[in-house]
Amino acid sequence: MTSRWMALLLMTRLLAAGVGVLLTAVHRVTDHDPLLILGAVAFTVASLGAFAYVPRLQLSPSAWFVDCFAALALVAASEDWRSPFYVLMLTALILPSTGLSFRGALAWGMAFALAYFAIAVYTSLDAETLESAVRLETIATHLMVPLVVVLALAYATDVLERLRGERLRSERLAVESERQRIAWELHDSAKQRVHAAHLVLSALQNQVEGPQEQLVAHALSEMRAAGADMDTSVAELRMPLEGRSVERLLDERAAQLVPASEAQITVRGSVGELPAHVAAHVYRIGAEALTNAVRHSGARHVDVALARNGSTATVEVCDDGKGLPAIRRPGSNGLRSMRARADTIGADLSFGPGRDGRGTRVSLTFSTQPDERTSQP
Amino acid sequence: MIRILIVDDHPAMRAGLSAVLRAEPGLVPLNAAASVSDLWPMLNRTKPDVVVLDYHLPGDDGLILCRRIKRQLAAPAVLLYSAYADASLMIPARLAGVDGLVSKAAPANELYDAIRRVARGERVLPPISRELLDAASAELAPDELPILGMTLEDTSVSDMAAALGIDTTEVAHRIDRMLKRLKVDIPAPRAAG
Repeated sequence: MTSRWMALLLMTRLLAAGVGVLLTAVHRVTDHDPLLILGAVAFTVASLGAFAYVPRLQLSPSAWFVDCFAALALVAASEDWRSPFYVLMLTALILPSTGLSFRGALAWGMAFALAYFAIAVYTSLDAETLESAVRLETIATHLMVPLVVVLALAYATDVLERLRGERLRSERLAVESERQRIAWELHDSAKQRVHAAHLVLSALQNQVEGPQEQLVAHALSEMRAAGADMDTSVAELRMPLEGRSVERLLDERAAQLVPASEAQITVRGSVGELPAHVAAHVYRIGAEALTNAVRHSGARHVDVALARNGSTATVEVCDDGKGLPAIRRPGSNGLRSMRARADTIGADLSFGPGRDGRGTRVSLTFSTQPDERTSQP
Repeated sequence: MIRILIVDDHPAMRAGLSAVLRAEPGLVPLNAAASVSDLWPMLNRTKPDVVVLDYHLPGDDGLILCRRIKRQLAAPAVLLYSAYADASLMIPARLAGVDGLVSKAAPANELYDAIRRVARGERVLPPISRELLDAASAELAPDELPILGMTLEDTSVSDMAAALGIDTTEVAHRIDRMLKRLKVDIPAPRAAG
């Protein structure tokens, strides 16, 4: 946004400086014209150079103040309010009018016009000017122009800003409603079909024997897994993380699980800032481990510990329950989906017994800046 | 022979359920209604023994519908068939007069078994835990708690009315209000299209 206004400043200031220098050279203005020209050139080069090479100055009120002060000083040095550097002076208003709020910009323009008026009074506003209607009108115009410039620029900035906000908002709404629609379709259509297929297939289970029965059991477990996958996707579509930290999300998940369980859950530590897709996967893995610990392990305590060490972070979920089953529960696709997520972000996921040999410990170690190859979601 | 009416808004589910029930000896699926408006004529014409009712019907709450079915003379047994058969549904289901609750993720055997049991007049509902009862009580008004207690003890509506000194329509009205309060929210798309 500022680069557009910087370009405007660059063009108008170079042009105004050129015109001002030319006018001064052609018409004798003061006794010290060469000095004045030197001053105008120095001001133009120094100010444009400073704004161009130190971009943060473009938004600094002190820099605007110095710029305006120098521009007004140039007019004062030409000893007449009808200075050849009047337009050059006006260019000092571009950055403040576009960088301040609408009211702030108007106040700045007002102060600027008053300062210009003071210079006019101090230099050459004499009785003769006040008696001439033409001259009076000219000074009035000269006083009004800064206000008009400020008003126009501030208004344009305001409108552009609103348009941008409006566009962002409508884009966000479109994404949101699309997400809701996909979630609904997954849940209301695809999942119902999976349920129906599961039901029909399960009716076969009693009627087949031997290896066929195993095949049916396998298909049934795959269907349950498909249903669970859909649930996860629907949850993700309905509740995107939206920049919330992993520790906060896990804390919220723990609070959801508490009423339905006996276990005491603690969430401590932090993994710090993470790229959005890494955070999403880390949260889902952590939430799955936490949910398993609470629902299936019969634990009294579940401890979720997050830590960050430079560009490596860990999430550990420990419980004092009955430990991992030797044979996986049928239809437990939880562990498999955790592995798949861990692979996506190039993380290490390990399952093992808890600290003193009891319970389960799920540990996830990952890089907070995975390389491009693995970081593609 | 148990005669069954199916109510489900999804065609795949209606077809699957009909096929599965037809395959089981002793169970006869009569018809499948896709919506509430289809349901009433079928119900009056066929007089089924058991209604297998989807909890989540578009624009209608399965529990409210269950209460309307149960209010009929010679009402069929109602088996609530839901993808959300979790703990939060237990108390509202009891209040609505549901005879059985089966998850859509359950295998066919469980469904056959539940249908046979509700047809015999049994109830196929898991016991209600203390935590659930506390959570539900917190949602309800003080004058609704006796109704909840009596419902869980299988007190009839007329006995409830006598015990509370109000008439039966008032009891029914209060139960409807309690169901609204305890409504289990199912996330729906915020806007269509």
